[in-house]
Amino acid sequence: MTNRRIIAGSVAVVALAAAALTGCSGGGDGADSGSNGETTGTLDFATDKAAWKGDFESLNETSGGDADITLKVTGYSDADQYDAFIKQSFRTSKAPGLFTWHTGETLTELVDEGLVAETTDIWQKAIDEGWVDESLAEGYTYDGKQYCVPMNIAYWVMFYNKHAFEQNGLSVPTTWDELDTVATTLTDAGVTPYYQTATLFTFQWFQHLVASTDPDLYEGLTTGDVKYTDPEIVEVMNVWLEQMENGWFSDPGSSTDPAVGLKQGDFAMIDFGTFYAGNLAGAGMTPDDYGMFAIPAVNGALEETPVAVESGPICVAESSAQKDLGLAYSEWWMSDTAQTAWNEAHGDVAFNPKATVSDPALAELGSEIADGDYVLYDRFFEAMPSDVVNVAIEQFGAFIANPGDPMPYLETIQAEADSYWASQD
Amino acid sequence: MTTTETRTAADVRSPHPTTPSHPPKSPYEWSARGFVAPGVILVAVLLYLPLLWTVYLSFTRYNGLGSPEWVGLENYVEMFADAGFLTSAANTLLWVIGTLVVPVGIGLGIALLTWNLAGGIWLRLPFLIPYALSGIGVGVIWSFILSSGGALDQALAVVGITDPPRWLLDAPLNTVVMIFASAWQGVGVNALLFTIGLQSIPKEPLEAARIDGAGGFRLFGSVLWPMLRPLTAVVVGLSIVASLKTFDIVWAMTKGGPGTVSETLALTMYKETFVNSDYGLGSAVAVFLTVVTLLASVLYLRQQLSPKREF
Repeated sequence: MTNRRIIAGSVAVVALAAAALTGCSGGGDGADSGSNGETTGTLDFATDKAAWKGDFESLNETSGGDADITLKVTGYSDADQYDAFIKQSFRTSKAPGLFTWHTGETLTELVDEGLVAETTDIWQKAIDEGWVDESLAEGYTYDGKQYCVPMNIAYWVMFYNKHAFEQNGLSVPTTWDELDTVATTLTDAGVTPYYQTATLFTFQWFQHLVASTDPDLYEGLTTGDVKYTDPEIVEVMNVWLEQMENGWFSDPGSSTDPAVGLKQGDFAMIDFGTFYAGNLAGAGMTPDDYGMFAIPAVNGALEETPVAVESGPICVAESSAQKDLGLAYSEWWMSDTAQTAWNEAHGDVAFNPKATVSDPALAELGSEIADGDYVLYDRFFEAMPSDVVNVAIEQFGAFIANPGDPMPYLETIQAEADSYWASQD
Repeated sequence: MTTTETRTAADVRSPHPTTPSHPPKSPYEWSARGFVAPGVILVAVLLYLPLLWTVYLSFTRYNGLGSPEWVGLENYVEMFADAGFLTSAANTLLWVIGTLVVPVGIGLGIALLTWNLAGGIWLRLPFLIPYALSGIGVGVIWSFILSSGGALDQALAVVGITDPPRWLLDAPLNTVVMIFASAWQGVGVNALLFTIGLQSIPKEPLEAARIDGAGGFRLFGSVLWPMLRPLTAVVVGLSIVASLKTFDIVWAMTKGGPGTVSETLALTMYKETFVNSDYGLGSAVAVFLTVVTLLASVLYLRQQLSPKREF
């Protein structure tokens, strides 16, 4: 009798637990839309850009009157924690109506699982209205359909300390040789030319060196046709190594905020996305203190100078009860009204050419890159498979911390790339 | 008179010698079971099921979306073949040794020096305060001190050392200095525990030892240390478990880098799971870490706390 009760009790516990577990894991195959059809109201918005929460909320003034939608923003400051939360939310009925994500392979994963809502109609309208250049749709297109809309675009350019340049009689370089001369002059004057760190943002100099030496070489890395151990890549790494040996980069172990470092003149230049203007403003710098320029190509024979571009998406969960509301906001978000308001609040170059860019320096740089002899390429973070990106960032960090023979670092990255591409066959 | 003496031979053979095989259940027992049931269910659902789920995931390839794909032992093979994993395991071992030598050793030293000392509590207090901080907080504080050009480098520059070691960039120096940062936090609580242990030692054997002429190291080695053994077993056991799961301070100070040279197993588990979205491999590392932690704890505590062991 007791045994039977124990067995029955155990079965009940296991059944309860299994039900709980099933509840947690349901919907993994792409749950059906739970949309309630509403297109006005309060929209739950999750983002890993917690620092921008105020900027997003300030848009409610415009969107409330314009689209009758207000955002309820939940900001995560830890990107990894945020990614895990979003992935798990798809298994519940609480998937956010709107959330920020990444382009590239991680967006492909969501699309493949049927987890994000299609936005083809929104893109078509935006293109027809002239709100967005058709070429931007490429990073959002899967099997001819679009998913998500761009939250922003950012060009990866060089910020520089105007005072450091003026004090050393330097002007903005337009060729690679001129940039090298700037670096040499600054070094001779006791000023470290470039900022560099061994953690996270370790890839930008590599991406520029490769893409502006040979755009096809960079493209080959994204497809696996070029190996990180190929002689051309090794040569690029040796250029980087030589610059490090010249003393052109800041101490990679410093924990000083780079925006503060640039302001203090600890170094004169920093390669970052245009959104970094906001960080510099936060550190107390004004456009009188800093400037921006597109980094000249290593290979002067290139007809167009490659500029890395980053575009982060805003997505709607297919299974969200707020799917229609999220899509309505996405459509409004693409408009010039929304993008002007966003630029006023946040400040960056704009993907919508009809939007007004409030910062004159950013507006000028955006126009120059859009209209001049420049060609855009996807930033390393989004362009490469994420498995490779994670290992590469670590290995570039190790190379920066201990400059030397690049081969061991490149071999480690290539081993991950081999494993990734083999799994794709 | 002991219980054993009153047992019959039949009782000894039975696994439940004093209980009938089908005892009647009183209403009290049923209501007691009712009170315990929610707790049992919660523990099963929140602790054991996730554990089983993690073990299952360790045999799959899974990116956190869709359904896990069964791959057998592939994750374990990949884990042991990865040089980065072996570095993590070596660093974790260094943490275990380091936290035994540094915070436990210093904690014992402080307890001994301040024991029976007038105002000893006030001498121990400053060491105890850092224990109130979170590991991440300690990591942030120490990264300001130890980063290149940080507080320590500036202090060294004042005394003429202008080319100090690269504290957080070179391995295994970065792991060693992080162990010291961790010791800064943990030494106080160890000192407190050892003090409690010292205060619980009966006065008579100490007085007898002193009358026999024991003092200093002789008193410590022959009397105090053996009598502290039960408490030392607990402190060392806790220290081993804590060091095996070292994560927060390393995450805050080096993120496991440069590259992966200062990673610990807990950090590898986190990075594989949440940074690389390789839930299968991350789970395999978690299972390995769990097995090592359980084995180390059980073996150590059984060996230390065995009643057969004589002083």
